[in-house]
Amino acid sequence: MEYKICEDKTIEEKLTILTDAAKYDVACTSSGVERSNGKAGMGNAVKAGICHSFSSDGRCISLLKILFTNECIYDCKYCLNRRSNDIVRASFTPDEVCTLTMEFYRRNYIEGLFLSSGILYNPTFTMELIYQTVYKLRTVHHFYGYIHVKAIPGAAPEVIQKTGFLVDRMSINLELPTAEGLNRLAPNKSRKTILAPMRQIQNGIAQNKNELVLYRNAPQFVSGGQSSQLIVGATAENDFQIMSVAEGLYQKFDLKRVFYSAYVQVNQDKDLPALPGGPPLLREHRLYQADFLMRYYGFRAGELLSEERPNFNVFLDPKADWAVRHLEQFPVEINRADYKMLLRVPGIGVKSARRIIQARKRTRLGFEELKKIGVVLKRALYFITCEGKMMYRTKLEEDYIVRNLTYVKEKLPFEVGSVRYEQLNLFDMASDPSIHYKQISQIDTKVLYG
Amino acid sequence: MEEKILICEDSLEGIFTAVYQVYAWKLDKDHVVFQIGEEGNLRLFAEYITVAPEVEKAEKVISTIIRKMGEEVYWDICCMLASRDPEKGQAVFRTIVTALKTGQGREVLSNVKEPYIQKAFELARNVNCEVHHLYGFLRFAELENGMLYAKIGPKNNVVTLLAPHFADRFPLENFVIHDVVRRIFVLHPAKKGCIVVTGREYDAFQLPGESEEEMYFQALFVEFCHTIAIKERENLTLQRNMLPLRFQEFMVEMGKK
Ligand code: SF4
Repeated sequence: MEYKICEDKTIEEKLTILTDAAKYDVACTSSGVERSNGKAGMGNAVKAGICHSFSSDGRCISLLKILFTNECIYDCKYCLNRRSNDIVRASFTPDEVCTLTMEFYRRNYIEGLFLSSGILYNPTFTMELIYQTVYKLRTVHHFYGYIHVKAIPGAAPEVIQKTGFLVDRMSINLELPTAEGLNRLAPNKSRKTILAPMRQIQNGIAQNKNELVLYRNAPQFVSGGQSSQLIVGATAENDFQIMSVAEGLYQKFDLKRVFYSAYVQVNQDKDLPALPGGPPLLREHRLYQADFLMRYYGFRAGELLSEERPNFNVFLDPKADWAVRHLEQFPVEINRADYKMLLRVPGIGVKSARRIIQARKRTRLGFEELKKIGVVLKRALYFITCEGKMMYRTKLEEDYIVRNLTYVKEKLPFEVGSVRYEQLNLFDMASDPSIHYKQISQIDTKVLYG
Repeated sequence: MEEKILICEDSLEGIFTAVYQVYAWKLDKDHVVFQIGEEGNLRLFAEYITVAPEVEKAEKVISTIIRKMGEEVYWDICCMLASRDPEKGQAVFRTIVTALKTGQGREVLSNVKEPYIQKAFELARNVNCEVHHLYGFLRFAELENGMLYAKIGPKNNVVTLLAPHFADRFPLENFVIHDVVRRIFVLHPAKKGCIVVTGREYDAFQLPGESEEEMYFQALFVEFCHTIAIKERENLTLQRNMLPLRFQEFMVEMGKK
C-alpha cells in the first residue's frame, strides 16, 4: 500500500501533535489480560493492570496513547481534528510508532500502546495503517505487551478482523448517547457505521471463545474485550439516558468497559454548549460510580434513575442515594444477609463483602470486626445490625440519614468545580435544616447540569 | 511460664529457620516471641535464644507453607517478611502457627479475631501495595553497554519481590535494579535467573554511564507526559495522591534528581 510520509516533521514534533490530539480519549486501562512472556521477545500483560505515571490532571498514564494521524476527512463538531479546523497536521509511520512503543516499554514507562487515528483518505485505508503497525510490533519486534486500537467505523470488516487477532482490546466510541445527538454533532457518522463493527467484534470474540475451547492454541481475538466512550455534557441527554445506553452496550454488545468523558470545550460552535465552569467533572464522577454499581454490584440503570428522576444526586453517591430511597430493605443483618444484599449497603465494598462472608463462617461478627474488615462504619451504621443490634440508636428515616451522610464529607477525586461545590455546600442542609434536601437536589441539578 | 525469645536474622531464611526450630524443639508456642535482630527491650524472666539461619530448614518450612496454605498465602508471607515493621516476625509466626493448628490453610488471613493475623494481613497489604506501585513507577535507563538500570528507594525491602515480574517481562534484557536505601543490587543477565548482590560485592560493583540515546528517549517521554494532560482538568492534588512524592524523585517525568 502506498502511503506518503510527511518528511517535514521530526519524531518529537509528531509525538507532541499526535499526543495532544489523542488526550481526550479517556480509556487508558491495561487490565483484564494475563499473559506471560514466551521467553522470546519483550513484554507481558498483568491482569490487574498497571499505572506507570499520573499526569497533572491526576489521570493514570498506562499506555502510549497517540493518534496515528490527526488528518481527518470528517467534521465532528466536538473534535479538535475535524476537517474544518485549521491546525498543524502530522502522521506517524508504522516504524516510528514501533520505535516509540518499544523504547518506552523497555524503560518501563508504559504498559503498552493505545493507537487511535483520524481518518486519512478513507476508513479502510486508515484501519490498514493501524493493522500494519501492530503487525510489525507483534511479529518483527516480538512485542507481548498490551495493545489497544480503535476500530475505525466504516472500515472493511476483513481489516478489522485481522487486526483483532493481534490486539488485546478494540474500541469504537459511540460518543453521543442518542442518534439525534450523533446526527447533529457528527454528521459523517451514523449509529449504523458505529454499531456494525461493534457487533462484528462481539461476534468475533464469541466465536473465538468456542475455538479456544476446541483448540487451546488457536490465536486469540481481542482477548481483553471491547470498550467504548460516551461524551458527557456536549449534548442535552440526561444521566438516565446515558446510563441506559451504557447498560445496553454491556448487555447487548458484551462490552468490557464504557468510559465517560466530561466534555472539554475545544471548538467554538453554535451547536455546542459553553461551559463556563469547566468540564462537568462531578457528573462524570457520578456516572463512573453508577457504572461500577452496574458492573460489580448487580444494579440496573432503572433502579438508580428513572424518567421522573433522571439525574444523579450531587450530594450523595448513587449507592447511598439508592439506599436512602429503599429503606424498606434495611437494616440488614451482617451475620445472615447474602452477598448480593451486603453489596447494597453503603460503606461495604466488594472486598469487605467477601471478607464478611469468609469471616462469619467461623465467628459471629460485631462492629469491632467489621471495622477491621474495612467496612466504613460511619456510612454503613444506618443500614446494618450485628446480632440484631444497631451500632447506635438511629432513626431509619430518609431525611435524618441523608443529613448525617452528607456530614461525612464524601471523598471526591477533585475539588468539585473548585467553586461551585463549595458554594453549594455552604447552603446545604447541614447548615440550614429548613431547606428540604429534595428541594436542594432539584435546585443544584439545574445549576450543575446546566 | 517463662517466655522464650527467639532472635532471628532479618531475612526469609532467618525467620523461617526460627519457625522450624520452634517445632523441632517442641516449644510452647504461646510463650514464644520472635524478635528480629539484637535490638529490642530486654525482658526480665525471659530466655533469649539466637537462631542462626539455615537454608535447608528454611526450605522445609517454605514447602510446608506452600503445601498447607497455597502459593498465594506464601507470596503474602514473603511480603510480610519484606516489611520494615519490627513486629513482622511475630506476626508471621502466629499466622503460620494458627494456620497449621486450625487447618484453616489458605483462609487463615481472613481470621479477624486474632490480632497478630490482622497485623500480618496489614503488613502484606502494605508491602503488596508498594510492590504494585513499583511495577509501574520504576524507571529503567539504558547504559552504554545496552544494559537497563533502575534506582529505587522503597520503604520496604521489596527488590527481590520486584525482580521476578521484570524478569518475565524482559527475558532478553540485561537489567539491574538498585535499592539505594538497603544497598542491594539485583542483576538479571539475559535469559538467566536473578542474582542478588550485597555487602562487599556491592561496594565493588561498577556501572557504566548512560547511553547516547538515553537522553533522547527521556526527553520524548517527558514531553509525552506533559502533553497528555488536559489543562482544563488540572488537579495536582489528585496527581500527588496517586503518585506519592517518595516515588517521584526517581522518575524522569517528575524531574528526578
Ligand atoms: S472522525 Fe470525527 S472524532 Fe474522529 S478524528 Fe475525525 S473529526 Fe475527530
